[in-house]
Amino acid sequence: MAINLTTISAPALSGVTNTLGEGFWHNLFFRDNPNHPDGFIADGLFMFLWWLGVVWFVLLMGLATYWLIKYRRRPGVPAQRSASHNTPLEIAWTVIPTLILVVIFVWGFRGYMRFHIAESGGEEITLVANMWNWDLTYPNGQKSNLLTEEDLGADKRPVFVVPVDTPISLRMTSQDVIHSFWVPDFRVKLDVFPNRYSTYWFRATEVGDHWIFCAEYCGDQHSEMAAILRVVEPADYAQFLVDGGQDFATIPPAQAGQILSSSKGCVACHASTEAAGTGPGWAGTYGYEVRFTDGTSQIRDANYIRESILTPSVHIVEGYGNNMTPYAGVLTEDEINYLIAYIQSLSDKAPKSVFEVPGEGDGESGEGSETEDVEVDDMTQAETAEDTIAQTETAEIPGG
Amino acid sequence: MTTIDRPNDLPADPHGGDHHDEGSYLTPKGGFWAVIWDWCTTVDHKKLGIMYLVAVLFLFFLGGISAMAVRLELWEPVRTLDQVVLLEDGTEATETITTGQLFKSGEGTDIAAGNNIYNRLFTLHGAIMTFMVIIPSIPAALGNFFLPIMLGAKDVAFPRLNLMSWWIYVIGSVFAVGSILLGGVDTGWTFYTPYSTTTDGYWNVLLMVGGAFILGFSSILTGLNFIVTVHKLRAPGMGWFDMPLFIWALYATAIIQVLATPVIGITLLLLIFERVFNVGIFDPAMGGDPVLFQHFFWFYSHPVVYVMILPGFGVISELIAVHAHKRLFGYRALAFASLGIAAVSFLVWGHHMFTSQGEVTAVIFSALTFLVAIPTAIKVFNWIATLYKSSISINTPMLYSYYFLFLFIIGGLTGLPLASLATDLHLHDSYFVVAHFHYVMMGSTIIAFIAGIHHWWPKMFGRMYNERWGMVGATLVFVGFNVTFFTQFFLGTRGMPRRYASYVDEFQLLHQISTVGSWILLLGFLVHLFVFLHSLISGPKAPPNPWGGLTLEWETESPPIEHNFHHEPLVKHGPYDFDEVHPPHCDPAEYPIPEPALGGKSH
Repeated sequence: MAINLTTISAPALSGVTNTLGEGFWHNLFFRDNPNHPDGFIADGLFMFLWWLGVVWFVLLMGLATYWLIKYRRRPGVPAQRSASHNTPLEIAWTVIPTLILVVIFVWGFRGYMRFHIAESGGEEITLVANMWNWDLTYPNGQKSNLLTEEDLGADKRPVFVVPVDTPISLRMTSQDVIHSFWVPDFRVKLDVFPNRYSTYWFRATEVGDHWIFCAEYCGDQHSEMAAILRVVEPADYAQFLVDGGQDFATIPPAQAGQILSSSKGCVACHASTEAAGTGPGWAGTYGYEVRFTDGTSQIRDANYIRESILTPSVHIVEGYGNNMTPYAGVLTEDEINYLIAYIQSLSDKAPKSVFEVPGEGDGESGEGSETEDVEVDDMTQAETAEDTIAQTETAEIPGG
Repeated sequence: MTTIDRPNDLPADPHGGDHHDEGSYLTPKGGFWAVIWDWCTTVDHKKLGIMYLVAVLFLFFLGGISAMAVRLELWEPVRTLDQVVLLEDGTEATETITTGQLFKSGEGTDIAAGNNIYNRLFTLHGAIMTFMVIIPSIPAALGNFFLPIMLGAKDVAFPRLNLMSWWIYVIGSVFAVGSILLGGVDTGWTFYTPYSTTTDGYWNVLLMVGGAFILGFSSILTGLNFIVTVHKLRAPGMGWFDMPLFIWALYATAIIQVLATPVIGITLLLLIFERVFNVGIFDPAMGGDPVLFQHFFWFYSHPVVYVMILPGFGVISELIAVHAHKRLFGYRALAFASLGIAAVSFLVWGHHMFTSQGEVTAVIFSALTFLVAIPTAIKVFNWIATLYKSSISINTPMLYSYYFLFLFIIGGLTGLPLASLATDLHLHDSYFVVAHFHYVMMGSTIIAFIAGIHHWWPKMFGRMYNERWGMVGATLVFVGFNVTFFTQFFLGTRGMPRRYASYVDEFQLLHQISTVGSWILLLGFLVHLFVFLHSLISGPKAPPNPWGGLTLEWETESPPIEHNFHHEPLVKHGPYDFDEVHPPHCDPAEYPIPEPALGGKSH
């Protein structure tokens, strides 16, 4: 029955919606037209409510101000006698707002059901939220390897690619607390819960980049939990499904690791410098000794890094708490190798191979050759890494 | 209107001056320590009201300072930048630095630690302002002082219970402030699970939640006290519809407090259980349901929105009638609207969860939410209709009443796109919501509270305040408020989520305008503070009835004597019969009765 009600259409609603949902006043409130077919209903209703509000506000405050001037107190002059109630007037000002409210409710209800009923024949993409990252898995198991070129907020953030004019359902869940998936340009948000799915449906109408924000407060880096949703032509999307926007096999492992450290959310706690965050900074750690809270110590080798990623609570570095989520089962073997390569690259004891594209150069040394002495100073290496990353596909950040 | 002939054995004017043996309630009894002891153990509703007033204003200052800090932090977005630095040995190195964080706990690039301070500040602001300032502001401070006097009673029905409410409030506040001393809480004032049950700061969260739990009891007991007082202690001659509308508003508020507050008590207790004993109620990791917490929480916290705003409606009804010297338009409609809002307030909690629940519930809650708009709109129409053919004194309370109307109409109208489903999906949890509820909570309740303090200041302290500077302060508050919060509507529609320590660059200009507004607001409140202090120290002595009011508090002295009235007052006229009687203790020439006088009504 609820569904049938959605077919109620207020007369000329779409016409009103289209007229209101654009122009100067619309641009005052909204950055752009909605990039979602149902977003126009929401914008039209919002602008209708704005003008309705303006009319009532001017009417009421205008009367109050006019009477303030006209009936301001004069010494010794009493207020004039007038009726202290007037039944027809009171019935009118009860019934008229009620009728207006019914119209607003039906309009809002109709738009809401449109937002919630997915168009058929689209893609389903799974989304996992955690503190403080979005992770999308495409139908063929592919993930995005793209980062924004410029900072979005404080840092480079992941870019997720979707095809234009195709219905997309995001099946969303959270690994920890409640988050909320909001694309302001779509005019919809939906909460993401642990241990439960919620489905966010949209069909992007134009090619372009859009902000993704977390709208439900989720802790320290709530405001950094941003990403870009990039709407592309179907052909580009098909290519994206093959290589995730960027084939890791064609870039140096350290660079792949740097992208992963951002897209997997490592950077929330681990700086790429020696600065301490929630966890230790990564620079200058590989190949050096570390002391643990239990009093023991160890050289940070590839095995140690692997253990720290998959089962972080086994050894806690002195001065830090046991705060990290175990990544066992979350990362693939390749991804672990890329992350190890990136952490290695931040130390002057890094193996040379981490800076080279596989198959090119003299990549003799394997991942485990942590004892190998490389005679390149760490600044040069760091710059090399930066340069190659700068070649990552340019991401135009909206409004950035 | 009830008219009762005065019995012959009482003097024609019970306050005619025969009984000056009883001093004002402020008269000190004994030395310093005796006075302290007297105030700590007093059962006098007036002293308790004053203590609530001082405590609420102090906590308002504390919550306000944290809000100022929040706005300052948002002056600049947080960024990490690479910069080249010259090392001591002459070589250059690249160093990553964090900019835009006003509050940092350490060096380096750790954004999280700086954000964490911001999160504690906004939680502190929200928790203090809702639980410790707005909820008790008008009912506990002004209500305690004036509810018995306006009913013509010597005190509330249970004076000792009233004292207990006060001390429970103190204990609850100490718990909450204690959690701040331990380092604060970063859960947000809504304590949403599972974040609140898993975030660090075990004792801080327990203390803050425990504090809110304890404060609830204070609220329940005060509400109970008020209900019984209204039912049993009305002066002879005062029927239900002879009560001032402030009393009606407090009565409706008290009903909500008594019915809704136990729910938050149980909810917070369950939260404490989950945290301490790991009982899985809300945390899905232990088999609980996080949305259940939201339902429980808003089942209380939405009605509580009306605990906050209804007393403000009551204050404004009094102020408009007295300072426009005019009978209120639609007295009964205003009284029933208060009760109607109280009833519907229990049915709309789900509108806080349009983005987290099923479609059917969302639709039902949206429809019910629009119901609240009707009685609320009726109230506004009645206030404005009262001004027609009135005689409006322009002073601080009346100016504030106009500012109240201005801000409350905006606050109410911006509720429509939030109640409407299609638009709420975009606006929920954005700055639009922040702006909307500040227009209602602060722009309306706090404004009504400060307006009420000015209106009743001469009665409470027996001294007048400086009218000119009162109006300057009011106008600064009004301007500052709009600059701060009107900008936030645009931030919200443009995509700025709430509770963000940082933001994308595009929002910076609007954030800076908002922050500048908060400085104007602060200046306005400082002006008020000086006006009040100046009045206490050297303000001229207040007459018993400086505004020409007709309700019973204007019949007794300023400040009132310890037992409020020399004799039990007899109610001879309605609270707003400005067109029938001369106000007590006033020069009749100053408050003449309009011609022609209505026949058959005595005065």
